[in-house]
Order: sequence, then C-alpha cells, then structure tokens
Amino acid sequence: MDYQNEPHGLFFMIDNKSFYASVESAARGLNPLRSVIVVMSEADNTGSGLVLAASPMAKKLFGISNVSRQYEVPDDPRILVVPPRMNLYIQENLKINKIFREYVADSDLFPYSIDESILDMTKSWRLFGSTPEQVARRIQLRIRREMGLYTTVGIGENPVQAKLALDLQAKHDHELIGRLTYESFPRAIWPITNLESVWSIGHRTAAHLQRLGIHSMRDLAMVNPYELRAEMGLIGAQLFALAWGIDRSQLHQLRLAKEKSWSNSQVLPRDYQIQQEIELVIREIGQQTTSRMRHHHQQAGCVSLGIGLARTGEADDGRSGFHHSCRIEPTDNVQAIAAALLRLFRQHWEGQAIRNISVGLSRLNTSRGLQLDIFQEPHRQIKNERFDRVIDELRDKFGKTAVIPASSLMPGGTMLRRAALVGGHNGGNSFD
Amino acid sequence: MGGIVLIEPKQEADLIYARLAEWFTAQWHCQYRIDVVNDQYGQTFNFFMNIQRQHHRARSIPLHTLRTTDLAVLEQVIRALQQQTQLSLNFVNFGRVRWPVSQRWIH
Repeated sequence: MDYQNEPHGLFFMIDNKSFYASVESAARGLNPLRSVIVVMSEADNTGSGLVLAASPMAKKLFGISNVSRQYEVPDDPRILVVPPRMNLYIQENLKINKIFREYVADSDLFPYSIDESILDMTKSWRLFGSTPEQVARRIQLRIRREMGLYTTVGIGENPVQAKLALDLQAKHDHELIGRLTYESFPRAIWPITNLESVWSIGHRTAAHLQRLGIHSMRDLAMVNPYELRAEMGLIGAQLFALAWGIDRSQLHQLRLAKEKSWSNSQVLPRDYQIQQEIELVIREIGQQTTSRMRHHHQQAGCVSLGIGLARTGEADDGRSGFHHSCRIEPTDNVQAIAAALLRLFRQHWEGQAIRNISVGLSRLNTSRGLQLDIFQEPHRQIKNERFDRVIDELRDKFGKTAVIPASSLMPGGTMLRRAALVGGHNGGNSFD
Repeated sequence: MGGIVLIEPKQEADLIYARLAEWFTAQWHCQYRIDVVNDQYGQTFNFFMNIQRQHHRARSIPLHTLRTTDLAVLEQVIRALQQQTQLSLNFVNFGRVRWPVSQRWIH
C-alpha cells in the first residue's frame, strides 16, 4: 500500500480512565486506580439501578462492567456505591478541555464525547517535547497533578489510528500510552481476530464479515475492496480503509447534517397501558421538543412519533414497536404539534403496553412570525402564539418547572421528575 | 462563579444537615458517618454521608461542597453542624494540622 498521498499528521486521542468513577474518587480523596467505586444511577427508568461507571479496581476485583444492573453487583462491603452527578462531570470535562487548549489551538481541539477529545497536534507538538510520547506523558502528568485524574492517550498519524491506538494499545499499556503509524499498523492491528473490539465494527457488522469469510483484520485488509463495497455498500469501503489505518477525514471541515431535526425520547419507568397516561407523556415530550425548536426560531413541517412496545406487549407479528410521521402546516405551536402526535398515536396504537416514546420534528424552516390560518378565528391564533412565548420566557427565567401543565401532576406524568435530570441521570445537588 | 463568595456557616450547616437527615434512618447494624474531604484538586471541602450496613455494599452520598480552602470557615461550619447532629465525622486528606481557632488537632 502506498501511503504517500495519505494525510500524515499527529493526532492524540485522549480519554479519561473510568471518567465518572475517577471524578467521584478524586472528590472523596481516593486514588482513582485503587478505589473500588461504582457509580449507580437510580433514575426511575433504570429499573433497580444501572451501573454508569465502575473504577478500574471494581472492574478487576468484581468483574463489574458499565451498564451492569444493580443485582449483578456483588453485595460486598469493599464496594462503595455512589450516585451520579452529571453536572459535575460536565464541569470537569470543560476543565480538562481547557488544559488541552494550552497544547493546541482552539481550532485543533475536537471534544469527541464527555470523556474523550481529539487533539490535532500536527503543528504544535514540537513545542512541548522531543517525541510524541514525551508530549503525551506531559499532558497526562499535568491532568493528574491538577485534577487527580488518569488519562489514556492514543497517538496516530490520523484520527482513526489515534482512536485504535487508544482502544487497543493504550488501555493495556503500563504508561497508558499507545501509538500507531502507517508503518506499524499492519503488525499491530492485522493479527486481531475479535473484530468487534475494533472501533466502528459492531456486533452485526462483525457477523456479516464472518459470513464473508473475514475472520481477522488481516483478512479484511486482503479482501478486494470493490467486492467488499459491492457486498456491503459504502461501509465496505470504509472498513477496508480502516484495516489499512487510512482516514482522510478533515476535522476542520465538519460536515453539516443535510437536514437538521429535533427529537427527544425516553424510556418509561414502567409499562404504560392506559391511553390517558401514554398520551400525557407524548404531550410532555412533544412540548419539550417543541420548546427546544422554538428557541432556535424554527417551525416544523413534519412530526414523527416512535413507540417502543413493552416486552410483554409485543405484537403477535413480532414487531417491537412502530414509527410513523406525517406532514403538517409548518408551525411552532405546542397545541398543534401535540394534536398531530396524538392523531398518529391513535391511528396506530392497538392497546399494547409500551415502554419507549420518541418524538421528532423535521422539515424545519425559520419562523417568520405567525402565519394566520383563514379557517380559524384570528384573535384566538394570535393569543395562542403569545401564550407560548410567555411560557417560554417564564421557563427561561425561572427554570423548566416554573410553569407546568396541571396534567403533568396526573398519574403517569414524567416531566417533573425528569426536569432535574441531566442526560437522563441525576445531575447532583442543586446548590453545591 | 469568580469574585469573593461569602459563606454563611450556619446556612451551610443547615443545608448539610437537611440533606443528611433524609438518609439517616438509624437502622440496626448500620454505620453512619460524615466524610469531610480536603479536595486539593477542586480547592473545596466536600461533604459526604457514608452509610455502611454490615456485610453489604457501602454507599456514599454527596451532601455539599464548600467552595473555599479556608480552615477557619470549615471550623465554623463544622461547629454549627455538630450542634445539630452527633454523627461521627471523618476527616480525609487534612494531614496533621490544627483547627485555627480551637487549636485542636483535626482528626
């Protein structure tokens, strides 16, 4: 393979080792690598409790993994269980990224998730050391010293190499640093036979590859890319590039989604079977989504509703739910959108128990004031419009629960309890 | 944040007490303890309620964070808190230092 025309940069992919658990350890004066801490969410819809993060020691000693259930965690006095504080983790992530900005220009830093960031060090690494490893070490020590957290660094000549170096090497390395180059890539990556351990290859893709007789990264690299593409589509071409450590993405030219849309979804705390209760939650989610959209001064021309059935209520034909959408007159009015959602729901629901609801708003355009509908009383329409604005302003000023529909107090409403959550989990104490 | 934040010790102690009272259910074979951590990284004092039922997993519930490194302020908050509860206090990462006012060892 001729790599001459491929981009040759220097990328760091840095992640925080067991981020939530480490933050909680540091806050308690414990060493994140030695403490046995489990961050457990006990939000309404996580059943008995869900492990969001386990410290390295908890993983090692008790085999606890993330997304374990509460009953899978042994009842051992050596284990310390703590509730999540999502707001704290967000703050800590911001602090870490602030440190990264001292090593790269703002435009070369790409936060990837709450505990991972990509740093394009191509232009700046020589300012901080004589080898990339030395620079990585320096950043690690800095974060350890200032925040008490351990970081893992993957180094590569492009982002995908950095990501694989992080996942496949750094995490098992004593110094928590891994490095891949075009040159070392075949030696390090091709022997891998557990394809699912490689970033971007999921369970189903791995199975598909197995069916094609591809059982290792070497097999994948040796396959005819045109045949692979014909078999798997664009993904086939991407996988082939992955096997050779090739990544031509230009992080600076972020591609915008063709069409943006707004959506919210939630897993219900229990099976919902009563129509009134289900419709209440649909309204609540509809309202939440609409309000997000309105903050961006947009109107939706299409609403969609997704319903996930409870395991017990799965339809006889084996469907696990349904998803439907319909066009509407472009609007940002909560009532109109809720009405459309309920129409969809009533058309397609056949009385099954449900566990999952999602609402989407698409075909967006900028709201340019109110378009009066000639079939409705104009004063009423203007009043509705003003009403929505006032509600928005009240919520902006005094919080999401400043004004709520009385219906949210009825059985089944989830809005009040969810308002305090961040990403579906406990945000932490409010006046900290 | 930023600027000088005035800390009212009584108010802080009340908040901590209100939060710990929710968790203190006084069960048999259960140890309750308040952990006070000197967090050098965050430059704060962190309060946690530690609940350890015999032969079961321990739990640690965040109660509050004092955004200061001033031991004198902490001493006042602790004194106000001790007027409301007799739960034992466990000081973490303070090293061997004395309280500024009472001059007793912190332990």
